[in-house]
Amino acid sequence: MNAITLKRLMCLGCGFSYDEALGLPEHGIAPGTRWADIPEDWICPDCGTSKSQFEMVVIGYADGGPLLAQSA
Amino acid sequence: MTQSFVLRAGERGHDVIYSEGSASSYVAGHPGSFISRESSFNFHQYQSGRPGFGAVRVFGDETFHGAGCGYNMHPHHNFIICAFVLEGELTHINTAGRGTVDQLRQGDYYVFSAGSGGKHCELSISPEDMHAIYLWLMPNQLYLPPSYLRAHFDLRTRRNRIVQLVGDSDGALPVAQDLRVSRLVTDRRTACTYTQRSPEHGTYVFVKEGELRSGDVTLGPRDSLGISGVGKIECEAADTTDVFLVETVMLDAGGLSAWEQEHGDHH
Repeated sequence: MNAITLKRLMCLGCGFSYDEALGLPEHGIAPGTRWADIPEDWICPDCGTSKSQFEMVVIGYADGGPLLAQSA
Repeated sequence: MTQSFVLRAGERGHDVIYSEGSASSYVAGHPGSFISRESSFNFHQYQSGRPGFGAVRVFGDETFHGAGCGYNMHPHHNFIICAFVLEGELTHINTAGRGTVDQLRQGDYYVFSAGSGGKHCELSISPEDMHAIYLWLMPNQLYLPPSYLRAHFDLRTRRNRIVQLVGDSDGALPVAQDLRVSRLVTDRRTACTYTQRSPEHGTYVFVKEGELRSGDVTLGPRDSLGISGVGKIECEAADTTDVFLVETVMLDAGGLSAWEQEHGDHH
């Protein structure tokens, strides 16, 4: 797993982020789920923006951020 | 390498969103209220065109028409949203920290960082139109603690020089990004030089009103210029001019450079 670069993506509608390493357990997406494996009709859980309107980002987390992101 | 583009007023995105019909849950106001929005960069699904500039994802000027018009409370994460009020009164409500209800008038501006999650509401309560410039910025860290800061730019006393509103200068509102927003308001012809943090930074120059010349480019109302790869930007403003300058680190995220190559408008 460490050899694979896991992606982070951000919703251009509202800024909600999806992190492949963390998944979104509250929304039924297990940690490690690749972006490509999320259905094309999936929408942002916060604002309803379509999957295609997410943008890959290379941004680190603030202190405590990953924990908050996983329970978003 | 110097790269630049010119975006004329008529090439910007234009949307009118009504408080009735399909957007009624999103747009506040009495029947007949509407928001008009002119966007330089891609505003979510509403516009095609240039998707952003450095850490800037949205640069638009918006007018809320009609009493109670605006955006109902809605959630954000991560994005840093800035508003600069030009006319009218903006009532801004957010949930950062213990929450804020704020009212902003001409010259007032705010920096709202949604971070780990924050909701906001933007309203023009009075029948007077509210006109503001909105910026959405990518932060330098995800899931920061949500925050809200506001300040005032005094148009009467801070004329004929470039004044930093957001960034790391004394008196500017700090922002969690390598980015600075400055403003130049003139009441006489003014020549000035904007020095970038480094030649690798880029600056988006937007003429709100008046006329600005830089090199062989002349910009009129709502025209704009994006430039990177230069140390300094020399410009000359006409005698009644209002200009916003947004200097940003040139992130190469989200396929911005791919879009530029495809459209081949860099020279």
